[in-house]
Amino acid sequence: MFGQGSRRTAGIAIAAAVAVAAAGCTASSPSGGGGASGGAGNAEKANLTYWYWGESDAPGANNWMKARIADYQKLHPGVKIKLVPQSTDTLIGAFTTAAQTKSGPDIATQWATIPVLSQAWSGAVAPVSDYVPENQRSQWIGTQENTDKGKLYAVPLYVIGVPLAYNKALFAKANITDPPRTFDDLLGDCRKLKAAGVTPIGMGNKDGYFGAWFFSNFGKQNLDSTEELKKAIIGKADITDPKYTGFYEPMHQLKSNGCLNDDIASLTLDQGMAKFGSGQAAMAWGTDGIVNGWAQKLGADKVGITRTPKWGTGKLADVYNTTQSSSAFITSWSQNKKAAAQFLLFLHEPKNLKSWYEATGIFPADKQFQPSSIKDDLGRQMWDLDSSDGAVWLENYLPPSVDGDGNLAAGQVITSGGSVAEAVDTFRKAVEKWRSQNPVEVKNYTAWAAQ
Amino acid sequence: MWRQVLLIAVTIAALAPLSFMLLTSLKTPQDYAEHPLGLPSSPTLSNYVSALTEVPTLRWAVNSLAVTVVAVLVSSTIAALAAYAVAFGRFRGRSIVLSSAIGFIMVPPVVLLLPMFVVMVNLHLVNRLWSVMLFYSCLLVPFAMFFLVNFFQSVPRELIEASVMDGAGPLRTLRSVVLPLSRPALVTIAVVNAVWAWNELLVALVFLQDESQRTLMAGLTLLQGRYVSNQPLVLSVAVLSIVPVAVFYLFTQRSFVRGLTAGMGK
Amino acid sequence: MWPYLFVLPAVVAMGFGFVFPLVSVVRNSLYAGTFYQIQYVGLGNFRALVDDDVFVHSLTNNLRLLLTVPVMTVLALLIAVVLHDGVRAWRVHRSAVFLPYILPAAGIGLAFGALLQFNGALNQALRVLHLGFLAQDWLGSPRLAIWSVGGVVVWQQLGFGVVVFLAALLSLPNEVVEAARVDGASWWQIQTQVQIPQLRSTIEFFVVTEAITVLSWVFTYVYVVTGGGPANSSSVMEFYIWRNGFAQGSVGLANAAAVVVLVLAAVLIVVYLRLRRAPENPGGVL
Repeated sequence: MFGQGSRRTAGIAIAAAVAVAAAGCTASSPSGGGGASGGAGNAEKANLTYWYWGESDAPGANNWMKARIADYQKLHPGVKIKLVPQSTDTLIGAFTTAAQTKSGPDIATQWATIPVLSQAWSGAVAPVSDYVPENQRSQWIGTQENTDKGKLYAVPLYVIGVPLAYNKALFAKANITDPPRTFDDLLGDCRKLKAAGVTPIGMGNKDGYFGAWFFSNFGKQNLDSTEELKKAIIGKADITDPKYTGFYEPMHQLKSNGCLNDDIASLTLDQGMAKFGSGQAAMAWGTDGIVNGWAQKLGADKVGITRTPKWGTGKLADVYNTTQSSSAFITSWSQNKKAAAQFLLFLHEPKNLKSWYEATGIFPADKQFQPSSIKDDLGRQMWDLDSSDGAVWLENYLPPSVDGDGNLAAGQVITSGGSVAEAVDTFRKAVEKWRSQNPVEVKNYTAWAAQ
Repeated sequence: MWRQVLLIAVTIAALAPLSFMLLTSLKTPQDYAEHPLGLPSSPTLSNYVSALTEVPTLRWAVNSLAVTVVAVLVSSTIAALAAYAVAFGRFRGRSIVLSSAIGFIMVPPVVLLLPMFVVMVNLHLVNRLWSVMLFYSCLLVPFAMFFLVNFFQSVPRELIEASVMDGAGPLRTLRSVVLPLSRPALVTIAVVNAVWAWNELLVALVFLQDESQRTLMAGLTLLQGRYVSNQPLVLSVAVLSIVPVAVFYLFTQRSFVRGLTAGMGK
Repeated sequence: MWPYLFVLPAVVAMGFGFVFPLVSVVRNSLYAGTFYQIQYVGLGNFRALVDDDVFVHSLTNNLRLLLTVPVMTVLALLIAVVLHDGVRAWRVHRSAVFLPYILPAAGIGLAFGALLQFNGALNQALRVLHLGFLAQDWLGSPRLAIWSVGGVVVWQQLGFGVVVFLAALLSLPNEVVEAARVDGASWWQIQTQVQIPQLRSTIEFFVVTEAITVLSWVFTYVYVVTGGGPANSSSVMEFYIWRNGFAQGSVGLANAAAVVVLVLAAVLIVVYLRLRRAPENPGGVL
């Protein structure tokens, strides 16, 4: 499922534990390091460890990756790659802890933008642009999400969009012919659906992800660019201004008008979305992969997708919500950086892009991917949306603790019946906490924001 | 009488959630969605079949079993040796060792977890069952030691003295005199510690991330994300995770009770 | 010589598993920053904890859970006393009540997570019994979530209390009770003035043990049943440590929080040690 869909928080990994010093004990020995000497390593012989995450976004990913590793090892007999799938809950913390001891994997995965960049700012990442020349990465999609000071830090593997799915049959039952284009349309459709005895929207917020997605889908709509949000995060603008947190108002309206399922607060995102999949709710947001699953279950002719209804007045209200979600990068302590880069490059070969799509139904993050591979209507619609210009996933721009204690928590305030003011306050406190506790991070974030 | 009523009520309260688990696991997802309460309209074992074939339940269970057996064996051995020394030996630091052990019994693992994780990363043991086996073995020592010391001290001194006079060294005496007499105590610590290890979640969750390496409890929590819309399937795996303990309990009740009431004041 | 050898493995195990991490945690709590720029911040992390609403709320949640201890104690006492009276099939009841205690909290938690949903089995049952007004959003309400967790804790821990109190009751001499009965004391009087007072040290032991439990052994309940939510309203200190340390990467805060848990647990552990009274052994035979 979409990165943020199952993840706890994304964010700036921080703080060293002097566990390093205390644990001082064993000198950290980076894993990998076949017969190579020196940092870059010999591309011919290497042992690589790859901390991988992707199955939650794209079911089938783990098996696909294992198969690609097997292929690669056949082509490069001197290279051994060990795949270590990571868990969503501890993706950030486990790597941060490993980074402190400068040991662990050669290739690691983090969610795009802040989670990757904060590791980069801490010195844990070897920029992939140092090992892969420009002409070999020009086809990659979404590289702007992980670029800082002219260097590309991580490799995108796939792109995910988050459309609003609607059940055409249930819409027909309520005499609605078109999917909602604006927020007012959405409210109107809710009323009609309720009158027809149908739950308008089925989502779950026990784990906070409905709120997180809402932030990305609606929170950007009053902004003209992501730079504006960065300003508010570092304190140059007031986060409580409706420009940044005004979207809690429409969220509250959805709740108070009964547009959301009544048990949204005690169901996780997956549980809530399942209502759509079983035909019990007329609308739900989902990732490309999940929507594909719904189409299979309900029948492709019954499922339609559309952009998130327009609510705000900023330029970003017109762009779609896509992201590479998770990104792969080479660690700074790896003894086999070149070999690692070669493998990541291998994953972008056209035949591998094709097999990825076939295995997971998720689009690879590469313009070399042929849309002609897409066999179904829904898929083509998704590709059009996903490859549209300027797409942004706003949640990526939040430090992890702001995401967890602010974004996710504030959304839960609303779905549990709280007020907009309380939600905004929760968000504000999380931002202020981050600012006061992470001076180094704030400095890095500010420098990045100023570019 | 009101006493019967009370007991029946309490028993129902204790068993109701468990029967809910069981009944739900026998329903199809459709059935459960329509009737979360009540008996299954057409009971089915298909969830259990899925639990064993589509979900790595067996793999997880084997992992849990391996971890439990190793941790209990290792910690019991370490504890038996140490308890013998504490009970029958004279050495400097004796009371510190004993008091520390007793104090450590109640230290919550969460406090120890961050540095331990770093150590495991350094030792390249993260995502390997060894990491959990190692840490559990350490965590189980204090209780086992305390319990055995208590018990060893009730062994009649004459038996020990007789063995010594026969020329037996401490190891021989431990093996041939004390241990055979201590069977109930050994069974008790094995039972209590095994249940603890089988049930443990937090450490397993942090050390074992790869799906195939998880213990049953850590694997269960994965189900919250993956199959959550199929509650009957999730609960069938949960039932499978508690059945071994429940059965184990039925056979070892007395040991358990003994373990829990050890060394209490009157 | 031999005692040192025998005791060595245990010392190594406890040193590695307990002493080393405890020392590390205390030491690490005084540092912050990225690993390229580690700074000694003294008590800075602790000050940050105090400023963090979520931590304070987590701490007060543990204190709220302490309120379940008297509930558990009274209920367990009552049940134990009734069982002790020799009601028919008392062993069956005892087994049933004790069963939840040994079951894995992770498995049980999943069941409660389903049971307590707004449209889940519990609320459905209440609605069917025309008690629908009692149906709450047990997991989705910020006010109630922690008490739902508390409910699950009580459900599991009760059996332990029953077994412990029952065992203690069984070891009491009968004469005093007989004498009181002969004197014409009512059942209630016998319980409150004769039996229970004799259980004082057992009750103390149970209360302290459960206090330690709700203070620092409830991670699984929170993680599985509510996930700390909604909006961190059911977070407890262990959960805070796990979340900040492993999910969000705020390791300095997590270490500081661990120290706080340690200090609180240490106070109770010392009390617990006094109650258990380490066995005396003036010297060895060998």
